[in-house]
Amino acid sequence: MSKDRRPRPRPIVSRRTLIRGAAGLGLAGAAPNVILAQTPETLVVNTQGGEYQEIVETTVLKPFEKKFGARVVHDPTGSASQDYAKIRAARGAPGFDVAGLLTPPEMILGAREKLLEPVTEREVPNLRHCWSVASRVIPNVGVAHTLQYAAMIYNKEKIERPRSWADYWDPGKRYGERIRGHVINYNPANLLSVYALIHAAQLGGGSVDNMEPAWARLRAQKPYVGVVVTASPEAVPYFENGEVWISPYWSARSGYYIARGLPIDMLVPEEGVIGLFDCAAIPVGAKNKKLAYEFLNFRLEPEVQRAFSLAYFSSPGRGDIADWPAEFVRTQVTTEAQVAMVQFPDSEVIGQRRRDWTVRWQEIMA
Amino acid sequence: MASPRALGGDVHPAMGPPVRHLVSAHWLLAAIPALVLVVFFALPNALLLTVSFLKSEAQQLTGEVTLENYRFVLSRRLYLDAVIRTFAIGIAVGALDVLLAYPLAYFLVRTTSRWKGWLIALSLAPLLASVVVRTYGWYVILNRNGVANDALLLLGLTTERIALMPSSAAIAIGLAHALLPYAVLTIMGGLDAIPPNLERAAMSLGASRLRTFLSVTLPLSMPGVAGGFILCFSIAISAYATPAILGGPATQVLATAIYGFMTQLLDWSIGAALAVVLVASSLALLYLASRLGSRQVSL
Repeated sequence: MSKDRRPRPRPIVSRRTLIRGAAGLGLAGAAPNVILAQTPETLVVNTQGGEYQEIVETTVLKPFEKKFGARVVHDPTGSASQDYAKIRAARGAPGFDVAGLLTPPEMILGAREKLLEPVTEREVPNLRHCWSVASRVIPNVGVAHTLQYAAMIYNKEKIERPRSWADYWDPGKRYGERIRGHVINYNPANLLSVYALIHAAQLGGGSVDNMEPAWARLRAQKPYVGVVVTASPEAVPYFENGEVWISPYWSARSGYYIARGLPIDMLVPEEGVIGLFDCAAIPVGAKNKKLAYEFLNFRLEPEVQRAFSLAYFSSPGRGDIADWPAEFVRTQVTTEAQVAMVQFPDSEVIGQRRRDWTVRWQEIMA
Repeated sequence: MASPRALGGDVHPAMGPPVRHLVSAHWLLAAIPALVLVVFFALPNALLLTVSFLKSEAQQLTGEVTLENYRFVLSRRLYLDAVIRTFAIGIAVGALDVLLAYPLAYFLVRTTSRWKGWLIALSLAPLLASVVVRTYGWYVILNRNGVANDALLLLGLTTERIALMPSSAAIAIGLAHALLPYAVLTIMGGLDAIPPNLERAAMSLGASRLRTFLSVTLPLSMPGVAGGFILCFSIAISAYATPAILGGPATQVLATAIYGFMTQLLDWSIGAALAVVLVASSLALLYLASRLGSRQVSL
């Protein structure tokens, strides 16, 4: 049987056109999801985690989402140096748009290695309200949004209130043998340890340029040390169970744990304290830089500063906010005059010498 | 008999697909894991090796080639102690795990209980919990206010609380517990491969149970024992979490020292030099172990 070889009438829609059309419709249907997933209004922010996660989300991240209609993805992992290690390893594209919790040594390194975006008042108008000292402490690659200091804390049920950094570095002299085993020391990988060592050097007439008195004090203190840790949160169980009676500690964490009923109190020793700025910066490979700059500016807004400082027990990054609660003013730095009394050692020098200091510390404490 | 080539190809009629296809398939099979190994192991290690020879100034890598990093690491007692501590802990963990795992593995292989499957699953159950969780269990036991100190005081063995941690012993105990299932699995494999007829033959020739075990079972299970030891040793010398928790900053091993330099001090040159020391010395020890193992087998 022969087939009918007459040409078939040309279809209105060819098979190829039909497939193209179906594919187009499919893509169009999927488009809203694709566009949503790649929306430029998503911002990945690396900042506080752990017990502080809720505080930062409530006082900073959610208000930012509300104001800008953006979606913030919170990355709560890593310490300042770990976060910078990620930025360096990823050559400026670590997966987050804002590094929200760097410290001056990482900011200086980031500027030198050109891995953090420059920040000026043009992109971040609120920069002009920051503490004047901040521009001397960190280079122009971010904002110093929070100020805290290395305070001294003590167990108020075990020992009398200390007065001087000497009470920490020479505990036997002030408290006798009963304090043996109840002193904590920190690895210099934690800036808290570096600052305490600088105080030890200063007690003996030294400075960051002459740390020999600090090593002598460390050797003398060692027999009294019962606990050695690196990260600040690692010390908390020892404060809680009463094993550690005296310690240098960050003012913000101290305030937080005092408010939660730990048997400790904090003070500013008579020699003064060293301050630390928490800084936010934008890695050069950030995907959403425009929104990241908005975030840096928002982080310095007065109402955000107030809400965060009160919840985090830290001092603000700007000095033009008034009407703080009296209890807050008692332990925090809120005026330029108070900032002037806080020491800010050269973080560039600290960065250059920290390795040698750490090795020296390890050799003594090992 | 005609060769396959003489028959018109690389193939014997009964062989199925051509040999060259099989050969290329074999190459492909080997090439994929080899590629993964090159990209994710050889290249990163080459980079690490390169960085270990670069000078670092103020936490920043420079292009200057130097041996200073190795001199720094190998001339300081602190890091030599960390090297010795790392390998001493590795050997202790390997030996402890083999000693503890052998009787358990022997029982699990030989038992005819209907609960055998459950017992094997139970012995491997610790793997279901994170090593961090298991290590914190030891932290609860070993710290100054922990259960171990309570027991020592209760039994009158000590008069005051003592510091059981941070210490190398605490790290070894924590790691031995964490890695025990690996030794059990490996030794079970070794024991399972021994034909039961050999033991029966030895006993039928008059050997006692003990003699049979010492002369037949134990020597034949040595590949499993060596495998278990090497596995536990290798994991122990590169472990980070357990030494960090039970050793702390004053009882460093190589992994915690490398972590400190890489991510806390941001000094990659020294961190890389320490990592090269760890990789090179562990490869040398493993090579030595394999040479000794092969000599044992040939004897």
